[in-house]
Amino acid sequence: MLNRRTALLSGLAMPALLRTASAQSDGPIRIGMTQPLTGAVAASGNYVANGAKIAVEVLNRAGGVMGRPLELILEDNKSNPREAVAAAEKLVLRDRVPVLIGAWSSTFTLSIMPKLLEYRVPMVVETSSAERITTSGNPWVFRIAPTSAMEAAAFRELLGKFDPPIRRIDFLSVNNDFGRGATEKFSAALGGAGIAIGRSETMTPEATDLSAQLTALKQSDGDTVFLTTGVEQQTLMLRQAVEQRLGKRIVTTGGSFPDALLANPLPPGNASFHILFYAPWFPERAPYPQIAETYTAEWNRKGWEFAGLTEGFRGYDAVLTVAEAIRLAGRAEGEAIREALWRVDIHGVNGDIRFVKEGPAGRESGQNRPNVSIIRLAEGRTSLL
Amino acid sequence: MSAVPGWCFVAAMAALPLVLPDLYLLSVLTSAGIFIIGAISLNLLLGYTGQLSLGHAAFFGLGAYASALASLGFDIGIGFGLRLTLPPQPVWIGFLAAIAVAGGFGWLLGRLAFRVRGAYFVIITICFAQVLRMVALNWVELTQGPMALIGLSPFSLWLPGQGVVELYAKNQTYWLVLGVAVLCFLVVRQIVHSRVGRALVALRENETLARSVGIRVTHYLVIATVVSAGIAGAAGSLFAHNVRIVDPDVFLFIYTVTMVIMVITGGKGTLWGPVVGGLIFGLLPDLLRGAAPPEAQWIAYGVAMILLVMFLPRGIVPAIAALMPARRPGRGATASPVSQEAP
Amino acid sequence: MDQALQHLVNGTVLGGTYALLGIGLTLIFGVMRVVNFTHGELYAFGAYMVYALVSLLGINFYLSLLLAALLGAALGAAIELLLLRPLRRADIDSVMLVMIGAALVLQNAEMWGWGGVAKLVPSPFAGTPLVVGPISVMPLRIFVLLVACALLLGFWLLLDRTRAGTAMRATFQDAEAAALMGVRVGWVNTATFAIGSGLAAAAGALLGPVFMVSPTMGDLVGLKAFAIVILGGLGNLPGAAIGGFALGYIEEFGGGYVSTEYRDAFGFLLIILVLAIRPQGLVAPRERVG
Repeated sequence: MLNRRTALLSGLAMPALLRTASAQSDGPIRIGMTQPLTGAVAASGNYVANGAKIAVEVLNRAGGVMGRPLELILEDNKSNPREAVAAAEKLVLRDRVPVLIGAWSSTFTLSIMPKLLEYRVPMVVETSSAERITTSGNPWVFRIAPTSAMEAAAFRELLGKFDPPIRRIDFLSVNNDFGRGATEKFSAALGGAGIAIGRSETMTPEATDLSAQLTALKQSDGDTVFLTTGVEQQTLMLRQAVEQRLGKRIVTTGGSFPDALLANPLPPGNASFHILFYAPWFPERAPYPQIAETYTAEWNRKGWEFAGLTEGFRGYDAVLTVAEAIRLAGRAEGEAIREALWRVDIHGVNGDIRFVKEGPAGRESGQNRPNVSIIRLAEGRTSLL
Repeated sequence: MSAVPGWCFVAAMAALPLVLPDLYLLSVLTSAGIFIIGAISLNLLLGYTGQLSLGHAAFFGLGAYASALASLGFDIGIGFGLRLTLPPQPVWIGFLAAIAVAGGFGWLLGRLAFRVRGAYFVIITICFAQVLRMVALNWVELTQGPMALIGLSPFSLWLPGQGVVELYAKNQTYWLVLGVAVLCFLVVRQIVHSRVGRALVALRENETLARSVGIRVTHYLVIATVVSAGIAGAAGSLFAHNVRIVDPDVFLFIYTVTMVIMVITGGKGTLWGPVVGGLIFGLLPDLLRGAAPPEAQWIAYGVAMILLVMFLPRGIVPAIAALMPARRPGRGATASPVSQEAP
Repeated sequence: MDQALQHLVNGTVLGGTYALLGIGLTLIFGVMRVVNFTHGELYAFGAYMVYALVSLLGINFYLSLLLAALLGAALGAAIELLLLRPLRRADIDSVMLVMIGAALVLQNAEMWGWGGVAKLVPSPFAGTPLVVGPISVMPLRIFVLLVACALLLGFWLLLDRTRAGTAMRATFQDAEAAALMGVRVGWVNTATFAIGSGLAAAAGALLGPVFMVSPTMGDLVGLKAFAIVILGGLGNLPGAAIGGFALGYIEEFGGGYVSTEYRDAFGFLLIILVLAIRPQGLVAPRERVG
């Protein structure tokens, strides 16, 4: 055993201390997860956390990993980057988890990333879309969520499904990484497909009255507006678009769905389109129907909100990924799990999960290629496009 | 109180990483320490000048941004085709820049806000922080807006014999924050015991009287604001390089409220008040982690704030000092907080 | 031009509720010298009450609006009796700190009790807009504007034509003199805080169904209410109404023609300018500063 005092004083020896501590126990294998369970984006964070919980249950029922059960340790990051760092440090330093899942928003994930290098713990990123996460040269990051560029590229393949076709587009985006990133990547991808790019408007995440933005968008001669923001602003925008007679097709990006419009639909004649990574109404149309159906059935058995399924799968797939990496590594230890993550090749709710290298050579991060589907919502009913 | 207990406390805190090598505890204490520095600076305004400045997160955030931008470097257009470029600087230059920028804005806010008092002053300080948050959100070329400044380097120090070393290890950062906190404490104590401090207390107690005996009220208030802002800027710089990300939310009102609660709880207008309050409210969120949801914690903080103002308006430190047997008979209760307090 | 007309209509609708918020806040400051940090939370409270009454209990929409405003007034009266009455002799800063504490409690209780998911409140109005030439507006928004104007008018009548209003105005001008003349200042304060809070809750109840109801909806609105009363001058009642409409137009036209990104910043920038140039507010120099 190391002399603790010298280890601490030298600072450099610290990872060694951590490694000995985290590798020893033979109880359950701990998986650390941080999500926004409270605060501004808590709704989505709880959905993802719920998805992870049922994945752990399903895996444990099947005997766990290497004969040991999994234990999910969930830490709230309170929708705040400072708390995201505190939560990650608590998970790594106090609970000694060998692997993390997190942290929903790109900002929270980015704030945790230096700590991954510091403590040598890999993290599976389940939601964040910012390009920088996998291109900044952090070899401890493995993302199963699609970047905006991937989402845009996948959407481009489905352009032919729109009738009348999309010819000229405008953007309304929330003023953050997520919104600005989507505007940039969709402009690039669709501009390359010969579609004209019109106006680009933004809104603050707290904004409720979008009349100024909508009035401005109405002046554009585009036929389609790409809307990138959280569920609440999606709902607000779709409702206010009717009021301002926007008269354009609206496509939401990012994989979330304004479920409030199922119970309180827009007036007849107003349809909207939503890019989703999992469409819970049609589990049989998922790439691996059996996995999707297990996930959906478990979720419904808990009586959780149906709409949460569209985001909860991220947590479910992340836990499947981590469990497989631990199995491949043969031990619950950070460096070994990181190595093993490169060898993961499994079926998830969204489809195949395996990582390709991104970022500067020698320090690549892992990135998974996702599947997307487009849902049409009209009069409270959904259909797959 | 003599200086001995104070230095004993500092020595105990400094020895902590050696005695109790718990990395998590150190990381919690480090971030608590950063907010204690913020609270110490706020106390100079809140406690000694009696001005309820509710825009303190503005200085904290300015420090964080100044330090982060100086260490990352920037290249922005400033109109007329001109560009302002700064190559990346060492972190200690960022630290000094943080103090300078925050202090400069402190001067600006002081000139602007001290033309009014009471409710107007409070609202102008709140709005000041709000405007800065909007600027940080929207001046994307400089601040990266909501995408936040990331990839900040950790603090580095020049150590004799070793050259410049980066402070990655928890215990090193902890000692750095402790050192800066002690320094800030001493600066504030020096000011409080100086002519400036006496003038500030005089005008806190009775502004009209202070004016009538020829104290240049605004002058002293601006000095206090500049120093207070500078220290808050230093705290912001430590924050930036400890968390290693800066986003516009550092300007949020809730950060100011956190510092206000620390000062009020410990005892405004006492030197040790912000330290005691800062330790309590810096450690509580992590002690209660998992035990109570953050909403319940904030409700408890709100209730604590109400009860303290109503029933213990001078805070914990004076209350404990009053309980202790009077060391110097004849002063104790009637002395002003300034003369009571010295480490 | 069509765009300008549409902005004008939108700004007017927005301004009506801003005016309600501003009047409540400035009334409380004028009569009681209290900077009410709970104002935004009472706004959110009103919205949640409408949600609870309409969506959970299935009570009639219009009755729910009335009840939500009354419940807001009751909550305001409770805050006054519990927190402010014992502090009547305290300095303005202590009172502000207590109100910040109360705001923390209310906001987090809302978050804890209702969860983070925003709620939609159904209204009996048609979901399709009324269209007049180039302008379109939802019937619900017209209803909100009408009710806001009716409340403003009713409030003015209350102050101008009733005994309670006279007592309030007397306290507004000089609390000590009013007390000497036999006005029971304690009850005037309770009534004032209740009315101010009721107006905030009414604004929330009216806007809840227009937008969505979420626990953080009060934050920005609370800060904007400060902007409104500073524009009109703290404690200046007509000023607050004008300030409310002014902020509505500034945000709408600023957002439409200058920058949607800075839309929410215009109000705060304006406050700094107003306070730097003309601290007593733009409308009328009635309040002594400092």
